[in-house]
Parts: sequence; C-alpha cells; structure tokens
Amino acid sequence: MGRAGEPECDAEVVGRVLAGEIEVFGVLVARYRDAFARYATAVCGDPDLAADAMQEAFIRAFDGLRGCRQPERFGAWFFRILTNQCRNHRSRWGKHEAADPAGSVTVEAKESADGALMQGELRDGIARALDRLTADQREAFVLRHVDGRSYREMAELLVEREDVLRMRVHRARELMRRFLEERG
Amino acid sequence: MTVGNRLLIGVVGIAVLASSVVGQEPSLTTRLVARGATAEFAARVEALVLASERAGLPGEPIENKAIEGLAKRAPLERILPVLEQLRNRLRQGLAETEAAGLSPAPGLVVAAAAEALGRGMEPAEVRELIRSAPTPDAAAAGLSVAATLAAQGLDHRAAARAVHDAYRQGPSADQLYELPSVVADMAAHGMGMADVARRIMEGGGLPLPPMAGEGRGRGPPGGVPPGQVPGRDKAQGQGQGQGSGRRR
Amino acid sequence: MTGGWSDEAQRHLDGEGPPPPDADERARAEAFLAATRGYSAWLRVPGPQVDRAVMEAVRRSGGRGVRRSVWRWLVESRLAVRPMVAAGAAFALVIASVALTLLTQPPNRPTAQPPTGGSGAGVLVRFELDAPGARTVALAGSFNGWSDHAIAFSRSAETGRWSVTVALPPGEHQYLFVVDGERWVQDPAAHAQVRDEFGQTNSVLVVGPRGVVRS
Repeated sequence: MGRAGEPECDAEVVGRVLAGEIEVFGVLVARYRDAFARYATAVCGDPDLAADAMQEAFIRAFDGLRGCRQPERFGAWFFRILTNQCRNHRSRWGKHEAADPAGSVTVEAKESADGALMQGELRDGIARALDRLTADQREAFVLRHVDGRSYREMAELLVEREDVLRMRVHRARELMRRFLEERG
Repeated sequence: MTVGNRLLIGVVGIAVLASSVVGQEPSLTTRLVARGATAEFAARVEALVLASERAGLPGEPIENKAIEGLAKRAPLERILPVLEQLRNRLRQGLAETEAAGLSPAPGLVVAAAAEALGRGMEPAEVRELIRSAPTPDAAAAGLSVAATLAAQGLDHRAAARAVHDAYRQGPSADQLYELPSVVADMAAHGMGMADVARRIMEGGGLPLPPMAGEGRGRGPPGGVPPGQVPGRDKAQGQGQGQGSGRRR
Repeated sequence: MTGGWSDEAQRHLDGEGPPPPDADERARAEAFLAATRGYSAWLRVPGPQVDRAVMEAVRRSGGRGVRRSVWRWLVESRLAVRPMVAAGAAFALVIASVALTLLTQPPNRPTAQPPTGGSGAGVLVRFELDAPGARTVALAGSFNGWSDHAIAFSRSAETGRWSVTVALPPGEHQYLFVVDGERWVQDPAAHAQVRDEFGQTNSVLVVGPRGVVRS
C-alpha cells in the first residue's frame, strides 16, 4: 500500500468514507475480500454462496460504518459481520450431503489427472467432513488449516481466548479424522 | 415523554453502544426494541432464537414472526407463546426433513415443512414431499405450494399429489410456484375445488407452464447433473464466485 | 487404529511440536496436512467481481446507505422512520415508472419479467383495493418487515381504486393491507387466507416467475 493518493491504514480509510468519500470504501472492500475470500468459501462450502455472503457483508458494513467504534480494527469488526452472513447463507442456501453425493466426486475424478484421483477424493472428503462440524468448529478449523492463521490472529478475529480456540481446533481435527476414516 | 419511554430509549441507546463496541451489527434485541418491544421481551425472543439455532433450527422464521406480532401491535404476552409454538413446529419440521433423508437439514426446507404442518398437512405427506423432490430447493417450494393449494380449498391429498406430479416433470423451484396461480385460474373459469381435486386424483395433474424462453424444467428429472449444486442455476463455466442471484 | 490424535500429534498439527514418534500416526498427520493443503489450494475463491458489485450498490445509494437489494425486500426495522418513508417513496416512484413502461399486458395478468437465468430478478405484482373512504392504504408483509407505511398505495383519479405495483421474488408471501394506518384488512384477490396466530388472518400470494393469477 502507500501509492500516491491511496490511504494506508483502515482507520484513515474509514474516516474518509464517513466524511463522504464513498469511493474510498473500495479500498477496504478489495483489502478484505482478498483477506477473507478463502475463509468465506471454505466455510460456505461454495464459491457462489461465499460471494453472496461477502457482498451482503460489505454492504452491511458500509451501511453500519458509523457503528464501527474502533476503525483501526475494521478488519475484525468486518469479520464478525462476514461470519454471520456466511452462517445465514449456509443455513438458508447451503448444499447438503443427501443430494447426489456421487456427482461431485465424479467431477473431481475428471479434473484430476494421472493418479491424482486419490487427491480428488481426499479433497471431497475434507469438504464433506467440514459440513459436519459445528459452525464454531468449522470457522476455527478453516482459519487454522485453510487460511493458515496463528492462534493469536484467530483470537483477535473470533474474539475468543487462544486456549479455547486451540481446544476447538483439536476437537475439529478429531471429528475430521473420524469422518475421513468413516468414508474409508 | 414518560419515564418508561425515557428508560426504553436509554436501554436502546446502551444496547446500540454495546453492540458497536463489541463490534457487531445491531442485534435482534435492538431491532425489536426499536419496534416497540420492552427490553425484557426482546431479550427473551433473542434467547429463544439463539437456542433454536443451536438446536439446528432456522432462527429467521421466529424473528420474522416476532416482528410481525409487534407490527400488528399484538400484546407481548400473546407473542411469546406463538413463537414457542412456532419453534415446536420447526422442531417437527426438522424431524420430518431428516426422516426424509435430508441431513443436514436446510433451514429453508425446515421452515417450509413447519409451515405446511401448521396448515394441516400430515407429517407423512410432508416427509414424502421432501423425499421425492428433485432438489432441496424444489422440496421447499413443493411444501410451500402444497400448503397453499390446501389453503385455497383443495383437498390436501390432491394438493400433495399435484406437487408430486409436478416434481416428475423436473421443474425448477420457481416453476412450482406457478401452481397456485394455475388453480386460481381454473377457479376463475368456474371450476370448483372438488372438480380440480378429482381431476388431479384421476391422474390429470395440473398444467405446469414452461419457463419463458426455455423448454420444460431444468436438469434431469429426479437428479442433479454432476458437479452442480442442487437448486442453483449454474450455467457452464460459472462458479467463479460471481454471487449470481439467489436472492429469494 | 481407533482413537484420536495423540497430544504430540495435535501439537505437531498446530505447528508447535515435532512429528509424533509413532510412525503410523506420523504418516496420518502428514496425510491430513497434505489433504487440507490440497483442499485449500483447490478452492475457487470469489474475486474482484465482488468488489465491483459492492461498489455499484454503494454508488447507487449515493452514500446514503444501500437499501436491501430490491428483490430481497428486507427493509430493516432498525432504520429510523424518516429514511424508511423516503426510501419507500423513492421506491414507489421507481416501480411506478417501470410499471408504466411495461403496460402492455391485459388487466388480469400483471406484468411479469421472465427470470433471466438465475439473476434473481423479481416479479412485478400489482395489488388493488376498493376503499373509497380511505385516506391512506399501505402494503405490509413478510417482504418488508410488516411496515405499516413503507409501501404506500396510490388512488386512481378515474376509478377511485387504490393500487400499488411491487417487485417480489418468486415464492410465498404473506401480507395485509393497512388502511388509514390502523385497520389491517385481507386482500380478497389473494390465493388464500391463513391464520396468523395472533387472532387475525394473513393473505397469501405465491408468486411464480410469470406473475400471479388470482380470483
């Protein structure tokens, strides 16, 4: 960051948006879409759903921007809104195991080349196993293993103690392992 | 301004402040209070919604019902029992949805199942409507449509049968939503509901209008093409996170 | 091997310890990490289209706040009354002008826009009421948080009938007409009437992609 004319920190951008420079909100959108798109996709289980959830979350963030009391922590504030939207969208429009589970495995098989069939099945297994975690567990697991964030970052985003998050991720791994073994 | 109102405004103010300090959008409690609920009532509704969601039920129908009650100025002590009954119907809806083989149960289907049960459809009918639906979205639509057909005066077995017949034509969820208009059209042309029911039970079915500019239905009847998420209109090459409308 | 991850395995999976001593568990841990890495790399992630869509909505709102996408009709009850009335009026104007340009349909088939392949387009639905003595009529329903004033009808000078045209997403909608801000009445032309469990009845309309037909 730091191109001429482009603001640097979140607090400055938020201030400018609230002062009427609404275009500058685009900086926050690009920044946090980049930061959280992977999280949203893994948590929603579907890129279209994730895009909808992100869009909705950004719009709510814009509408409610005055309610962001610590603009230097816009990211964490936005993350809460995004997580709520992902949960809502998942429960309303998320996919489920019952519908033709063979379908997507076939797609994986076609996509993978030369012996990567195993890879495809594993990925499919992870996706389905994620479906079976609780929302809390899924979010923590995704932050840790899909996003690769540290427990410290996670604590800031999820507003939760590190030791609690550690237990949650451990539990999630237990369940993932069991689900993956069930599939054989 | 009475003391009560001053207190209320104070509570709303604190709630808004608290929620923004914690870094969240305004809670259900805040929204309900803004609609005229007492803080205590709002807190009880929010607790009910959270508990329901933790039990795997969709919370939105309960929220919406609370807002409806407040908008209609129903007495607060009347609203809570209604919400609890709704929660119980949602539980039943969840049970039927899972019994039909849809697990985890999508909130939309659970809500539609609860509504159908509330309008007098039998649990077994509800289960069958979910089980034989081509997609979960179609299941939600089918339940909603069957319940409305029944409310239009159609015998509920005929209503369920009409939806089952429509399922077999591989419709999209949206197309199913045409059926109550089809029945209303028949009624406008002088057909009694008993005649419509007879026609359906004799295998005549209800005419399902094709989508504008398309052939009949989308996707193969009774299934979803591989790689597609059921109930979603995905053209080839999409799925790059465009967020194409699913805004229902 | 039944049973879960050992403590050493969990620490290693957290990136905070060496691989577990047991060879079998070490292999499982490596496979698990590889699978999650593969999954993460395989994800197709939303891109800048999201940014564009958001900024379009933000710009359209002129900075005053994005109203819910027309087709979703989630007017938030937390908004103060004045902006909501303004939004409702602006909205009615937009709908009225769109409705005018589409006035080619026979009277009892309301204008309907065919859905454009999943773009979530709403369907225009016309509501009418005969209420010669009324001063105001509004449409309150599941689609606008049952607001008793946000969607206002207008009265035709010639016929004296009240009407409003509204874009609704396909599906079931429950609603009532609010006369003079206090009398909640059913729509006789609805598909059905159902109990609302507060002692009243709600009108039900199921909107299909081609519009609605009612009695």
